[in-house]
Amino acid sequence: MPTIVYRRNKCIGCNYCTEQAPEFWRMSKKDGKSVLLNSIEKKGFWTLRIRDEETDINERAATACPVKVIEVR
Amino acid sequence: MSPSIELLSPAGNFESLTAAVQGGADAVYFGVDQLNMRARATMNFTLQDLSAIAEQCHASNVRAYLTLNTIVYDHDLSLIKTILQQAKASCIDAVIAADQAVLAYASSIQMPVHISTQANISNIEAIKFYAHFADVMVLARELSLKQVKTICDEIQQQQIYGPSGRLVKIEVFAHGALCMAVSGKCYLSLHSHNASANRGACIQNCRHKYRVTDIEEDVELEIDNEYIMSSKDLKTIDFLDELIASGVSVLKIEGRGRSPEYVKTVTSCYHEAIDACAEGIFSEEKIFEWTNRLREVYNRDFWGGYYLGQKMGEWSNASGSKATTKKIYLGKGKHYYSKTQIAEFEIEAYQLHVGDRILVTGPTTGAVETTISSLHINDSGAAEFATKGDRCAFPLECAIRPSDKLYKIVNANQ
Repeated sequence: MPTIVYRRNKCIGCNYCTEQAPEFWRMSKKDGKSVLLNSIEKKGFWTLRIRDEETDINERAATACPVKVIEVR
Repeated sequence: MSPSIELLSPAGNFESLTAAVQGGADAVYFGVDQLNMRARATMNFTLQDLSAIAEQCHASNVRAYLTLNTIVYDHDLSLIKTILQQAKASCIDAVIAADQAVLAYASSIQMPVHISTQANISNIEAIKFYAHFADVMVLARELSLKQVKTICDEIQQQQIYGPSGRLVKIEVFAHGALCMAVSGKCYLSLHSHNASANRGACIQNCRHKYRVTDIEEDVELEIDNEYIMSSKDLKTIDFLDELIASGVSVLKIEGRGRSPEYVKTVTSCYHEAIDACAEGIFSEEKIFEWTNRLREVYNRDFWGGYYLGQKMGEWSNASGSKATTKKIYLGKGKHYYSKTQIAEFEIEAYQLHVGDRILVTGPTTGAVETTISSLHINDSGAAEFATKGDRCAFPLECAIRPSDKLYKIVNANQ
């Protein structure tokens, strides 16, 4: 099962991941950084297990990220 | 009679902040979190640092300006309000802004605003427009000295006042990196790597080498320098008297991504130069000496920017720095014996010799340089050198802390 790993503290709030995969990503109105919906945080790493068919759009989000804080493993 | 000039230095972290104060800055500027033009840098301050920054600056009679000058999206608005409220509560002196959302909210809470170079102010009508919001305005970096002077003269002539009731002050860039885009409004990094310079994520690919090929004719154009987009760094110290005479009030040094010793060296050179202008002792010999010192720290070679008119071919011809010196990490701080003014370090790499020129950096220490006059190692007495694993002690006038780093400064080609 693929997993998205997101280092949220490094996010610069550019909005690209939410454009690529809006079902998974949303901009926080509170701190201006992106939120990986339904993810779990551990030591600054936010993770979410996804289905195989959800990999593509999240990889697109990872590629679009200018500071490379999104990874699909 | 020239009015007093404010020297504004960059602070990317506490090391550089302390170094700027040591160098003689009248004010410093810095960013917090992701909404600043150096968001990619890992060492940005956070909101929680604002009070400590203001306290440290004000204790040394230095003003503290917060940069909040990126492009702003709807999802940033709440963060902007939080940052501005926190800045106001922490007694930060002003915020440097370009987006209207930031100007409007800062004005609504009576937070003083300076207009960033990102707003690209290039004429007197723009000054009049922004005078509703700001007392200090940074001009576009592409104006000539004559254009800068015209704007300064017109502010006097037309009596253009800012919100404080005082005449609008003009700030210009005096030293540091320039880029090929108009006042930093660049799209190159966004085009090639989806990393917007205007959100502080520039990957600086303009500093790479490029080939220019005419695809229709399939010929590679002959260019004498492959760094066709990488500008040399701005240096105005050669004509600082003229720049000051144009009527500007604030001289800004670029470089929130630069090291503390860079900040200290550049700040102290310009501080001395401003004083020399005021005292009427600005001279060729001094310019020569300052230039040598400026060449020792990071630079892409220098030119006078656009102040003296457009010059062709002022492009860097190498990647990275052309600094004449480099620093080598030796070890970390251990203890400072304040009565005897002896600093103790542990050497973790290379060797330290008597006669070496050293640099100590740290958040409270800033950037301190000296030459080793004598050396003691491992409590076993005087020695000529200390090597990896040794604890060494030497006289140093300034106190050091356990978090401090010790470097040796050597010739760049060594």
